[in-house]
Amino acid sequence: MFETYINDYNEAVFEIDKELALEVIESALEEGVTPEQVVFNIIIPSIEVMMAEIVINADTNLAQHFMTAQIAAEVTEQMLAKFESPPDIIGRVIIGTSYGDLHSLGKRIVMGCLKSMMVDVVDLGVNIKAEAFVDAAVAQDAQIIAISSMMVHTATGEEGSLKVRSLLKERHLEDKIKLVVGGAPYRFDHELYNKVGADSWAADGVTAAKIIHQLIMDGKS
Amino acid sequence: MTPLEILSATVSGQPSPRVPVFCNLLDQGAKVLKMPPKAYFANGEYVADAQLKMLKHYGHDNVWSAHYVGKEAQLLGCKDILFADNGVPNVADFVIKSWDEIATFEIPEDITQHPHWQVMDDCLKILRDEVGSTNPICAYVTASTTLPVILMGMDKWMELVLIGPVDLRDELVRKCSLFVQKQLTAYRAAGANVIIYASPFGSTYFMPKKRIVDWSMPWMQEDLKAGTDNIVYYGGMAPINTVMQLVIDTLKVNIFYPAPEDDISESKRLINGTGLTSGVLDDIKMIHWTEQQTRDEVKRIMRLGKAGGHFLFGTGFMPLKLPEANILAMLEAAFKYGRYS
Repeated sequence: MFETYINDYNEAVFEIDKELALEVIESALEEGVTPEQVVFNIIIPSIEVMMAEIVINADTNLAQHFMTAQIAAEVTEQMLAKFESPPDIIGRVIIGTSYGDLHSLGKRIVMGCLKSMMVDVVDLGVNIKAEAFVDAAVAQDAQIIAISSMMVHTATGEEGSLKVRSLLKERHLEDKIKLVVGGAPYRFDHELYNKVGADSWAADGVTAAKIIHQLIMDGKS
Repeated sequence: MTPLEILSATVSGQPSPRVPVFCNLLDQGAKVLKMPPKAYFANGEYVADAQLKMLKHYGHDNVWSAHYVGKEAQLLGCKDILFADNGVPNVADFVIKSWDEIATFEIPEDITQHPHWQVMDDCLKILRDEVGSTNPICAYVTASTTLPVILMGMDKWMELVLIGPVDLRDELVRKCSLFVQKQLTAYRAAGANVIIYASPFGSTYFMPKKRIVDWSMPWMQEDLKAGTDNIVYYGGMAPINTVMQLVIDTLKVNIFYPAPEDDISESKRLINGTGLTSGVLDDIKMIHWTEQQTRDEVKRIMRLGKAGGHFLFGTGFMPLKLPEANILAMLEAAFKYGRYS
């Protein structure tokens, strides 16, 4: 039953046709699909299809990633307001761009996907100091710190992920809080995440959401 | 032959002694002069001085005008650039803060009268006088479909492009295209003889190919309607092999600066013995390579691209963290393995 909706919805997202994607959701609701089913049986599986597509098809592009997150977040927000009871949140992420970095697109894509996947996201914004990431993660009881960097010096600088790692170590938080990084420099050097002290990385925002989700689930098991 | 003659011969397919070697040293200039980046980039004479010093020190082929990310935004009213001692400057003040401001956003009638252009002009005048007859002088122009990124931020622009009102989107791109055309004219008049035309929104890494065909290409044709002489198509480090044929057919541009992840053999096949393509070294990986790894990678790039000519060796926008020894090893290898004799 849901397969047709997922296919139609994803086709619209791939074609960057927001109106058509929303029409698919509207039709589903009219045909008796509940808001809970829209999120858990259409939106989340659709994001997972995009995640799989990125792995097998190098031709997916930033525009499609953006649309995946944008529409998913918008639909999820609308549906959550109609849920009979609040859904269980699977975990919490502190997200922001690294110190000195003002680029926010990647972060926005990650956030859109995560929110639809029932991960609570605390957005610290751009140009965030290492201490602020760690302090927020402790205060909010988050399992993940996610740092986006578009430039080499903000990805590798002493005030970025390297300092977050050193603070996590200093405060004995490394077992509780995992550090995930993403952004252009990591796309060019796939080992760079290791060199800046991160636990994991992703080449794009949609995949980042998948990795963060997986790390949260691993932490629970 | 001078580096400029070597480049020219490479493009036209004439014999030349070696592959041209481009090394994009921009932010390093401030270090050379031991100055803070903000003060360095505020004076065209400083930039020219550092470019000439680096040219002498490293022996590569090209010099750069006073370019940094945000320069174009400043010409259009940006009031704040976040300079960093350890990396590239960042736009910290968006000229267009909401879609409503697109209607009142204006392109200066004469950009050459702008104080920020004066810096560029001062730099280019010195470079033209000193090395204009011997070395390629590079300038950087962002395509009209990408320029709004530095005017309003990537996510706001992406939103307008993909789900915003079409008339508003195109009103902004029309204004940006006018600015691109003015810049191209000004750079050519000031002596730049290699113009890097940066078009990430003309790369399938950013946009689906259909959108590029239907939307990006017509605007790029508008940008380049005065001519494509010395234009180098560049995806802003995003791959461009998938659009190369389209660019050749539609824009009549046949000089390319691909991304490190573009397959060099495929780039060569696509230019099909005309114009020029480049083998671009991944200088982010190079930060952590040994000197030998650096030499090996240069050798690999030359092996794939050199045969048949029409090939240039180049770098990304070299991060400040690159070890000096690796830069020297890269250039030594580029001249060694790029020789045709």
